[in-house]
Amino acid sequence: MSQAPQDAAAADGALARLDRWYAHIEDYLNYVAAAVIFAMMLFVCAEAILRTAFNASIYGFLDLTELSMAAFAFLGAAYCQRLGGHIRMDLMVAQLRGRWLWGAEAVATLVALLVIGILISGTFDHFLRAWRIGDTTIDAELRTWPSKLLAPIGLSFLWLRLALNFAGYLRLVRDPYAVPVAVPPRPGEGHAAPNE
Amino acid sequence: MDPLTAGWVGLAAIGVLVVIGVRVAYAAAAVGVIGLILMRGWNVGIGVSGVVPHAESVHYTLSVLPMFILIGYLAFYAGITKGLFDAAKAWLSHIPGGLGVGTVFSCAGFAAVSGASTASAAVFARIAIPEMLAAGYDRRLAAASVAVAGTLASLIPPSAILVIYGIIVEQSVGRLLIAGFIPGLITAAVYAGVIFFRVWLNPSLAPPVENRTTLRERVVALKGTTGVILVIGIVMGGIYLGWMTPTETGAVGAMIILFMAMQKREMTWTNFRDALSETAKLTVMIFTIIYSILIFVRFLGFSGLPESFAAWVVGLDVPRVVIFIAILAVYFVLGMFLDGIGMLMLTLPVVYPAIVKLGYDPIWFGIIIVKLVEICLVTPPVGLNCYVVNGVRPDIPLQDIFRGVWPFVVADLGVIALFYVFPEIVTFLPNAMFGKG
Repeated sequence: MSQAPQDAAAADGALARLDRWYAHIEDYLNYVAAAVIFAMMLFVCAEAILRTAFNASIYGFLDLTELSMAAFAFLGAAYCQRLGGHIRMDLMVAQLRGRWLWGAEAVATLVALLVIGILISGTFDHFLRAWRIGDTTIDAELRTWPSKLLAPIGLSFLWLRLALNFAGYLRLVRDPYAVPVAVPPRPGEGHAAPNE
Repeated sequence: MDPLTAGWVGLAAIGVLVVIGVRVAYAAAAVGVIGLILMRGWNVGIGVSGVVPHAESVHYTLSVLPMFILIGYLAFYAGITKGLFDAAKAWLSHIPGGLGVGTVFSCAGFAAVSGASTASAAVFARIAIPEMLAAGYDRRLAAASVAVAGTLASLIPPSAILVIYGIIVEQSVGRLLIAGFIPGLITAAVYAGVIFFRVWLNPSLAPPVENRTTLRERVVALKGTTGVILVIGIVMGGIYLGWMTPTETGAVGAMIILFMAMQKREMTWTNFRDALSETAKLTVMIFTIIYSILIFVRFLGFSGLPESFAAWVVGLDVPRVVIFIAILAVYFVLGMFLDGIGMLMLTLPVVYPAIVKLGYDPIWFGIIIVKLVEICLVTPPVGLNCYVVNGVRPDIPLQDIFRGVWPFVVADLGVIALFYVFPEIVTFLPNAMFGKG
């Protein structure tokens, strides 16, 4: 037996292990986003009840709600990418097979890697400005930097997931009939309806 | 390259990227960022694309989205779907196509606690199709009724897609949500009418079902609809009376549905965690696409393309109805290939200014566009709801479901024509509640 298949198997094993390990981190980040949504539901209910029943509003309600929204706007992005949840048009890709399919997927992922990379840099600068000038909200004067920092954090985790996807696709370009590892579900797979 | 040409090139580039399989959010952000860098230089390009994701995501108006999505996911565990279907069955199963008509109205009820059409189709494919097939219904009719009735969730508040429309075109979300209510009911009635008349003309499609329920049993069956009525009351009443913002109605609605689900004892820790995880996943998907599109919109703004396109459209020497039909036709075709949210996001920045310049009401147009999204959810080749029904019932071939939905699609086009001739059907409720916009 040649050395190459063993090497390939070892590399696949490493990529698969890395994928599984990283998936745990993504799951936890998504749980944080989910917990913030639940906490926001309770917080907003409290505000609605206090205001309608007691004519009293929670101090800084609007500012706090808005700042906390960054958690669910960014932290689950990598989880969503792993499960193929971001919308796309599958029609052409679904027609491709073998190396063409994986090559197209790799190119599409490369575009995503580049643009998310740029957004990480831009959103980090946005955070840094807020941190340096001590930016606060207008009403409750809450510091805005922790919320702004969530954008580059969430996007960085997304970038790492995209990098894993890219590695997974390159592996499949090399060996189109290998078992797909570290790539989102194929068109038609994993697009189960909510609540299924 | 002059800015206008750059705008057109950007639009073409986004089309190419989406067709080769780049996810809509990344394609929009990529074209937006590169366009901004080329037109305004590196610093401005990076600066704008760095500010937009956070700044545009933390608007209070957007906080309504996770609340509405959460209601839908929790409603699944609150036993609402079965309660609705049982009530509809008790009251309607004896009329021609009664189980199909009942499915439509229970989907309309579920739409009042859910903003996601696919969820509605998946749930009712499990509950209603087996009952219809057991009663001898034509499988095309049974599956198509569920697929089309599922789309009602897009129109009847709480509707995620109407919120997204409101955010992109900067219109009042409350006004839009209220505006969706009557068109949603009319659509449900039309779907029910299609089933009724088809069965009336051809009784072999759905043999009559013997209904032995007493009046007392029928009234008792209505108990299963209390959750829905409560949420409708809160969302419509809360917004109407000005007591609550849309986000607050969503949060209170979600809380009530959560209590109901806990009472049913179907809400295990795993179910609760899954519902929240799925909510977070759908939420981040929508937020990612919103801020990405808004980066693209900044680029389009610098290019001046939307204004130029609007001026060109208005300057055309044809009646505005012709332009309107042409725009609808483009959406109809696009919707065959693209998901509804993606389609709206990609086109509205260019199309909306033209629509406003032509003198159409923005709220009315929102409802029309969501009607089109509904149609696109059931038309081949990517009619998602048909795939969902086929996913739940693989024994019913996809082609059969697609063939079964055509009478409903034709009826839907009729409904759009009705709204065109009588726009007051759409605008009178929001105008009555909030005053003329």
